[in-house]
Amino acid sequence: MTLFFKFDFNAICQTVLEQVLNNNNIKYKNVGFGEIEVLEKITPEKQQDLQNELDTFNIEIVENQKSILVQKIKDTITDMVFNEDTVVNVKSSVYLSEALGHSYGYLSNLFSEVTYTSIENFIIIQKIEYAKQLVIKQDLSLTEIAFKLNYSSVAHLSTQFKNTTGITPTAFQRIIAKRRDLNQQNN
Amino acid sequence: MIKTLSNNISFLRAMLYISALVILVVGALTYRSVTEVTKSSEMITHTYKVNVELEQILSYLKDAETGQRGYIITNDSVFLEPYLSARNRINNSFAELKVLTKNTPQLKSKLIDVNTLINKRLIAFKTSYRSLPKKDIEDPNFKSNFRNGKTLMDSIRDQIKGVIKLQNNLLNKRSDEYRSDLMATPLLLFSLLLCSLILIYLAYNSIYKNIKRLKIANEELEIFKESTNQSEIVSKHGSWTWDQNNDVFTFSDNLYRLLGEQPQSFEPTIQNFMQYVHPEDVEQLSQQVENMKKNVELPYIYYRVVHKNGNIKHLKAYGKSIINDEEETVLLGTTADITDEIISFRALEERNLELERNNQELSSFNYVASHDLQEPLRKIQTFLSRLEDEEAEKLSDRGTRYIDRIQNAATRMRLLIDDLLQFSRSNKADKVFEESNINLLLEAAKQDLAEVISAEDAVITSDAFPSMTVIPFQIQQLFVNLLGNAIKYKSEKRSPVINITHQVIEADNDPQITKPTKPFYHKITFTDNGIGFDNEYADQIFVLFSRLHNKDEYSGTGIGLSICKKIIENHKGHIIAKGKPSIGATFIIYLPID
Amino acid sequence: MQEDYINIILADDDEDDRMFFTDAFEDLKMTTKVQTFNDGVYLMDYLNSTEATLPNVLFLDLNMPRKSGLECLQEIKQDPKFKDIAIAIYSTSASEEDIENTFVQGANIYIKKPSSFKKLKKVLSEVVTINWQYHTNNMNKDNFLLRL
Repeated sequence: MTLFFKFDFNAICQTVLEQVLNNNNIKYKNVGFGEIEVLEKITPEKQQDLQNELDTFNIEIVENQKSILVQKIKDTITDMVFNEDTVVNVKSSVYLSEALGHSYGYLSNLFSEVTYTSIENFIIIQKIEYAKQLVIKQDLSLTEIAFKLNYSSVAHLSTQFKNTTGITPTAFQRIIAKRRDLNQQNN
Repeated sequence: MIKTLSNNISFLRAMLYISALVILVVGALTYRSVTEVTKSSEMITHTYKVNVELEQILSYLKDAETGQRGYIITNDSVFLEPYLSARNRINNSFAELKVLTKNTPQLKSKLIDVNTLINKRLIAFKTSYRSLPKKDIEDPNFKSNFRNGKTLMDSIRDQIKGVIKLQNNLLNKRSDEYRSDLMATPLLLFSLLLCSLILIYLAYNSIYKNIKRLKIANEELEIFKESTNQSEIVSKHGSWTWDQNNDVFTFSDNLYRLLGEQPQSFEPTIQNFMQYVHPEDVEQLSQQVENMKKNVELPYIYYRVVHKNGNIKHLKAYGKSIINDEEETVLLGTTADITDEIISFRALEERNLELERNNQELSSFNYVASHDLQEPLRKIQTFLSRLEDEEAEKLSDRGTRYIDRIQNAATRMRLLIDDLLQFSRSNKADKVFEESNINLLLEAAKQDLAEVISAEDAVITSDAFPSMTVIPFQIQQLFVNLLGNAIKYKSEKRSPVINITHQVIEADNDPQITKPTKPFYHKITFTDNGIGFDNEYADQIFVLFSRLHNKDEYSGTGIGLSICKKIIENHKGHIIAKGKPSIGATFIIYLPID
Repeated sequence: MQEDYINIILADDDEDDRMFFTDAFEDLKMTTKVQTFNDGVYLMDYLNSTEATLPNVLFLDLNMPRKSGLECLQEIKQDPKFKDIAIAIYSTSASEEDIENTFVQGANIYIKKPSSFKKLKKVLSEVVTINWQYHTNNMNKDNFLLRL
């Protein structure tokens, strides 16, 4: 039998992080978006211990201010794309600069410098990633997915999907379905 | 037919019974009449005999009288002789009469009276001739005696006449009775006979009709039998029956011929038949014969027989049990000689196999050739690109130009190889038909062409398509090729506009569909506003490597439309092209609907 | 798990192609470490050895003597220890069906070997970048399909 899961990486990371901090008896305040305000002074040795423990979960303490900001940009974008509650009526550039309190130009340059990709590209990647999840779930038609992700038409979604992945949404759906069949046969 | 016959048979049986009854009645009546007639003639004879005897008695008396008179006259005793014998004779006659009249008391008493009178007369004779010796005729005694004798004689005569009269009356009375009886009998007999004749006629008529009908049926049966014989010979099959209860076989003439023998040349038994069966098939066939006993309907049975001259023939048999009127199971079977079929089938199979092998070799050659050609070409191109990028400044102008030319040639070769590869792929046998959303395939094709579509500002409009059972990759390829073609051969004067329409049509209503395999087809029409072509090339453009334009003008390889044709052939459909120079081209695709 | 460089392995029997590949990565000046193997057997021997550094991205040529790229793919997919490796098929050409089939078998990326060096560099950089996005942003690798 194969079970399929849908999970929220942010929530999982948050929970793991809280557990590790509690284990180390560190007082903290949760700010969200991967940011935690530590309410006490931490020695470099203690921070090293904490990092070692977090390594098991591939969680990294970001020290660099630039890296922190980039991570914030990413989290904001992911939240914007994946969370249906976050209704974005304004352009994403405006939304980002308002949410993070920096000019879009600054954010954009910083992002490209650190991640080898542009904010626009990253937004597209995330949107297509969400589209992939929806396509696989098969609850919604392509038209509905296009609407949900704020695409003007199915053609627009398909074109962007194809440009990003090299594959059409239907081919993607077909491949994943066949892969699951194959895995089920092997198990 | 059988029903009318059986009805007729019960009718005839009734006729027979009625006729027999009538004849019996007639016989009985006749017997009675004949008996009556015999009885009455016996009675007449009896009456006459009585009369004769009475007449005789009278005659004897007269003789006695005459003799007496002679004696009296002559006194010669010779004349007395009749008188002397009269007594005996009369007694004899009376004895006779007594026998004759023993059943008629009335007559008997009359006769006794007559007898008394005769006795008196005879005594009167005696006295008269005794008183005569004196010879005195004049003697008054004698005279009175004589007269007395005459009186007696008269009364005897009267008496006898009376008896005869009585007799005749009795006879007449009886005759009248019989006559009235007999008068009715012939009428009855006649009417009965008439009746019987009519019945016999009806029966005859019916029999005649039946015989006539049977004769016709018989003739038809003969004709049918003969034509069956002929058709068995022509179609190389024979028939047989097997009465399973009695284990009796019949074989048709041609069944013997199928075994290479003269008709009815051996006794039709399973053992005799088995002698002709190919030794390898005997066991299997025997098993199947056993099965015949159990099952009502049998599958086809295939086996071989060996003729005496060594020829091997393939036979195919089929049998079915039926239960006849006598509740017996009879197996009716047909056996056909399928040797020719098998030979031609094998030949066809072999040819098919060979063709398939050839095709496979050709397509794998195509594939390997074009696939393996790609690798060195790609390296040539890559090295060229590196030369251009990394070593450009070290090259002379001429060198750069040459590299440019090499690049162009390589690009064209790549185009050719790619198209050839695609063509050989569309030839490959492993095609999977799937229920596909044609709209999505068209969308995918447009995505493949997204760059040129936007570069040329092409407008593509299309109907909504129903889902179809197709090889999805190939249909997408088809769309790509047709759309690509329409854009490539666009008019200089206008941006390409391509309109795609869909219709479901009946195969019979469209002359373009030759040899339809299905009653309904999808008709998909691609219309563009490009440079078009002259209709005289409409067939030629689908031929591999055929091009209507110089390769410097348009970069085609002459393979794209051949691929389209191949794809459509894979789908058992049709593709046709129509064109008008400088107006546009139309491509119509027909795909059969399952 | 921040590493100093991205580990890349190519298995290809063609010497020229291996050269183009390593040259391209040199030109890209990315923090990558490229290893090449001459066929599938050498590759699998290495991957199964104890001292092996598992690559972030593994490029497989399909047509190789002894062990083809597809066979390597199937072996790798059956071993859970290789689950983090992104697999890129690196081939001359294939039909749409063959491409889909390799994806179904578990490949993440399908690259048709380009016919210009510039294009090759572009393609390889794209692969590494996108893989890095998946890697650093905790994206669902099961949905990682890329065709170039």
